[in-house]
Amino acid sequence: MDLIVVLALLTPPFAAGVLALVLRRAPARVAWLNVLTMPVSLIAAGAIAARLATGGTPVMVGEVWRIDALSALLAVLIASVATLAVALGPGSGREEHARDAEIRTFRIYVNLFAFTMLVAVSTVNLGLMWVAIEATTVTSALLIPLHRTKASVDASWKYLLIGSVGIALAFTGTVLAYVDVAATGVDINVALHWTALREAGTALHPQVARLAFVFLLVGFGTKAGLAPTHTWLPDAHSEAPSPLSAMMSGVLLAVALYAILRWKVIVDVAVGSVFTDSLLIVVGLATLAVGSLSLLSQTHFKRLLAFSSIEHMGLACFGLALGPLGTFAALLHLTGHALAKSATFLLSGRVLERFGSGTIATTRGLLATAPHTAVLFAAGVFALGGLPPFGLFLSEILIVKAGWAAGHPLLTTAVLILLLIAFGSLLAQLHRMLFGQPPPGIAQGERTSGAVLLLSVPVVLLAWLGVSIPAPLQMLLSNAVMVIRP
Amino acid sequence: MDATFSRITMTAASAMLLLSLVVLWRRHAGAYITAFRTQSIALAVTGAIVASYGAAPELFFVSVMILVVKGWIVPSVLSAMDAKRQGGRELHPILNTETSLLVCGALAVAAYEISRPLAEVMNLPTRGGLPIALALIFVSLFIVVSRREVIAQIVGFLMLENGIALLALLGAYGVPLIVELGVFLDVLLGVLVMQAVVYQIHDTSAD
Amino acid sequence: MTDALVIATQTLLLIVIAPAVVGYVRLTKARLQGRRGATVIQPYRELRKTFRKGMVIAESASWIFHVAPFAVVGATAAAASLAPVVSTAQPADLVGDLFVLAALLMLGTFFLALGGLDPGTAFGGMGSSREMTVAALTEPTIAIAVLTLALTTGSTSLGAITGTVLKTPAYAIGPGHALAFAAFLIALIAETGRLPVDNPSTHLELTMIHEAMILEYSGPYLALIEWAAAVRLTLLLTLAANLFLPWGMATSLAPAALAAGLPAIVVKLAILGLLLALLETRVAKLRLFRVPELLALSFTLALLAAASSFFTK
Repeated sequence: MDLIVVLALLTPPFAAGVLALVLRRAPARVAWLNVLTMPVSLIAAGAIAARLATGGTPVMVGEVWRIDALSALLAVLIASVATLAVALGPGSGREEHARDAEIRTFRIYVNLFAFTMLVAVSTVNLGLMWVAIEATTVTSALLIPLHRTKASVDASWKYLLIGSVGIALAFTGTVLAYVDVAATGVDINVALHWTALREAGTALHPQVARLAFVFLLVGFGTKAGLAPTHTWLPDAHSEAPSPLSAMMSGVLLAVALYAILRWKVIVDVAVGSVFTDSLLIVVGLATLAVGSLSLLSQTHFKRLLAFSSIEHMGLACFGLALGPLGTFAALLHLTGHALAKSATFLLSGRVLERFGSGTIATTRGLLATAPHTAVLFAAGVFALGGLPPFGLFLSEILIVKAGWAAGHPLLTTAVLILLLIAFGSLLAQLHRMLFGQPPPGIAQGERTSGAVLLLSVPVVLLAWLGVSIPAPLQMLLSNAVMVIRP
Repeated sequence: MDATFSRITMTAASAMLLLSLVVLWRRHAGAYITAFRTQSIALAVTGAIVASYGAAPELFFVSVMILVVKGWIVPSVLSAMDAKRQGGRELHPILNTETSLLVCGALAVAAYEISRPLAEVMNLPTRGGLPIALALIFVSLFIVVSRREVIAQIVGFLMLENGIALLALLGAYGVPLIVELGVFLDVLLGVLVMQAVVYQIHDTSAD
Repeated sequence: MTDALVIATQTLLLIVIAPAVVGYVRLTKARLQGRRGATVIQPYRELRKTFRKGMVIAESASWIFHVAPFAVVGATAAAASLAPVVSTAQPADLVGDLFVLAALLMLGTFFLALGGLDPGTAFGGMGSSREMTVAALTEPTIAIAVLTLALTTGSTSLGAITGTVLKTPAYAIGPGHALAFAAFLIALIAETGRLPVDNPSTHLELTMIHEAMILEYSGPYLALIEWAAAVRLTLLLTLAANLFLPWGMATSLAPAALAAGLPAIVVKLAILGLLLALLETRVAKLRLFRVPELLALSFTLALLAAASSFFTK
């Protein structure tokens, strides 16, 4: 039974990617098939999450796969965002003018990208998790320059190089931890299993554990867009095609934070949680500052969204250091952010397509030009700014509360100020986009389309989340927090 | 016996560190690739030595893989990439050679200092080489950060991978085989993807 | 009494065979290049000829110009007396250690550079400034490279270093030792003005470093300076051979042991000379602005060697 569910989770994207690779001649048909395969993963992820929300045991297959509450949460997020992305990508009706080669490349790599992310969160072997995260860099880097512009190719190289170096540093941390664990005499075949490492945590030497965590934080933090190794993020997320940006901003950053979390649990067993908490607070605050302050001066709306991702990841990182309440709030935040960011990026893709340019100054009068998209886009940006009644408002309030409770009043005030700055910048830029005279030559009016309907789903979910957290989600989140802070 | 084993592995590890320093000195892309190839061969030799002294036969397989993938396939891909590169023969790093060398000397000393507690808690005879591996990692990081040309950055990154492999080798006689295979696959794929992106860079810059 | 005799004999040995070492390197280089080359004793003949020639001294030369050759010879001979040539039981250990040796070598360089500056010619000044640039980078390298050995063996006296390395060969297999040896060799090439740093047989003034400083010297002064240069080369080669690869050296001052240790040093000098000639045939002279890069490389190697010896005892 467990085997079937894990197969249902992992095989669809892998099979879809291979299918796209093999079937050269009918990319459009492959694209439509793809739209049907991804929801299978989503259903499987939902089933696993439901089981774990109601207190079931983790799903385990062999020595390799182990999906507990934290993994299930992320699997659901990955599958949902991936479903949106493949439904609204080239070849499935939206961009009719996409070339066949582009459609094929997109379908191959976006599926493999989703597959690698699902593998990363489903495996218990931390070495395999590392391999999967490295594979995410490789599969996404080839997709960024889909439209072959100089800017996108340069952004892809920056992403590939900085991401690979970061991942290599994360591997250094993994190796250091492995060296220490292997010296304690544990069975080598399970030495890198998260469960075994957690058990052997007290046998780890403190200095080694600390050094390893520093490497892991810097390394996986590079992939999560944490300062100071975030410099690839604005370029990569803004130059990539919108479905890919949605996946990268929405869930890839969260997967990198997940990796940090898994290691945090182990290091906390070895040296107590003060060390990792302090590091996470410093890094989170720095990242939040970089993200918020950069929002003030952005002129392209996709870069605006990219810096907003940095800001939110910083906040989530800060929240993870604040005990169980903070962790709960941070995980809720990651959920809301996945929904909001993916919807907003996909909507920005529609805006880009309509206006032909990515600068805020030339995309005026959105409300008049494309009212459905405008309303949904505004809702998404409101959500990202932390406005009620959307879910991110709730998680931000909870993080602030956790900060006060954990005894960091000054830092929490700084966080609050930075969040307000971000809120202001986002709203100001949104205002410029929504109102005003649209530039000449832009087609006016918009008919209701499947895409718009699909994109309204995450926005509605966000609103629901802001009013009251649905009970299953709350239970899943609580169980996930139990995994991290037992 | 243990002492000789320790010293031989330390010498091989130092040879790897030296080769990354050579990269700082030479200005020709071909020299970078040759230095990387020689360093990978030194890594394979170190792996073989550890395999025989440390009674870990799967490391022989790993050493052969290192030789094939990093000693042959990857340098060939790099040379093909370099042949297509426009721009002059000389590479122009951000920092000049003397400063780079002194910075790397300082980084190596820092690596020794950081890994002092680490080497004390390990009990394998090869633990003396851990500082060298960490120094190699830091120096390779510096190489990546201070190079302007793409091919030089790639060689720096590959040397970083070599350093980490050395760390795994000396610290715990290698990581589990499945992870090792995954790492190889990643390196190979990574280099191929880098090649693809670099060709795209050439195509779009030529316009 | 015997101590002084031993010291004097070792020093005289170095001083006497120095021109032969230079001649040997030249001969090997010639043979490698396909020429017949002059015999090994040719430098002696050249020295004798130069000693007999008259001197032409510039009008603007001061007392420094006259003192410099003697200072150079004195400093180099004093340094030569500290080097362990045949035996590890070095009586001169009581007189000076590696720091004194480095200082004496520097003293010689210093006076040579002054002598090049003194007549006020353009080439002399240029040579002196280049020489000091090179020396500023090589002296610390030599000091740190030998310090690496001192760290492992626990003493800075040269004889004690060679003795300890001879007794415990495990010290010699290791990265610290090999790195220090490499750094020392590069510094040796720079100190003695061999290729690829400086071409000793060049006649193009703009490419000279060492030769440019001695352009104004003639007659006996020139002979003294050339001899001192030969002694410096032999001294550094002996140090490289005996500090890093001391096998074959005598461990006491018994005459039989000393006699047995003599062929060892001759063989080692021959091998090192061959390597030097091979290197000179193989590489081209480095452009001047690349020389500090090479020396920075050797300094970094020495630094690494010292770090690895210091941290992994």
